[in-house]
Amino acid sequence: MEELLARLAGTSLAEWMRLSRWGYAGVNALHVLGIALLVGAIVPLDLRLLGWRRRLPLAALGQALQPVAIAGLLLALTTGALLFLADPTGYAATPLFLVKLTLIGLAVANALALNLGPGLAGAAPRRLRLAGALSLGLWLAVLAAGRFLAFV
Amino acid sequence: MRRRSLLLAALSALLLAIAPAQAHHGWTGGETIELTGTITAARLGNPHGELTLDVEGEQWTVEVGQPWRNARAGLEDGDLAEGVEIRVSGEHAGERLMKAEQLWIGDAHYVLYPGRI
Repeated sequence: MEELLARLAGTSLAEWMRLSRWGYAGVNALHVLGIALLVGAIVPLDLRLLGWRRRLPLAALGQALQPVAIAGLLLALTTGALLFLADPTGYAATPLFLVKLTLIGLAVANALALNLGPGLAGAAPRRLRLAGALSLGLWLAVLAAGRFLAFV
Repeated sequence: MRRRSLLLAALSALLLAIAPAQAHHGWTGGETIELTGTITAARLGNPHGELTLDVEGEQWTVEVGQPWRNARAGLEDGDLAEGVEIRVSGEHAGERLMKAEQLWIGDAHYVLYPGRI
């Protein structure tokens, strides 16, 4: 593991992330954009699952919000991997970073379990409320963990 | 209706709890202190460099600038490396944690944050 982290840190991409001024800042800005798209799309959908704005058709909301959330997640994951490259050993040794990765895994698993399982259209109201509550709590916890990484 | 208000209140409370983290994490208003010691470990690079400084047997963490800031101050590769003795002045930001504002290697003076000294 240590060797792998050191090898990652030795790549030219990692060196660029470590040393560049505007490159690092730009990747950082795109990471924030990814999080904004993900959270901005998933929170209204989760609130709808919890019963807010119940008259809005769930299928239509899902069609609009889920692709945006997925695009945001992919952007955040890609730019997050680049930010990680700036200091692989340091991040791997930070407990809060591992907590954040675990929370991301749980949040993604929650979304997959609903969408690969019954789906928005087929799930019982209780199942939808549970998925919405988990999603809301997990993604906001991911956001908080990520932000606090800069302060620990 | 009541349930909806409750939900919104809970969400607002959560966002408020997260809000302080948005504050800039550069400076916390700690007192300015000075340390002299030998660098025992250095990690230079984004988001900012970090030195471990042996100060009379105590290990201090000294945060220095991003690569461009260190370069602007005149620091070159190898200046902040293991074994180099430095005198450094900056903000006392935690137990044995300093955010460097300026430092000296021998007689050479390097200013990381000209606006803060």
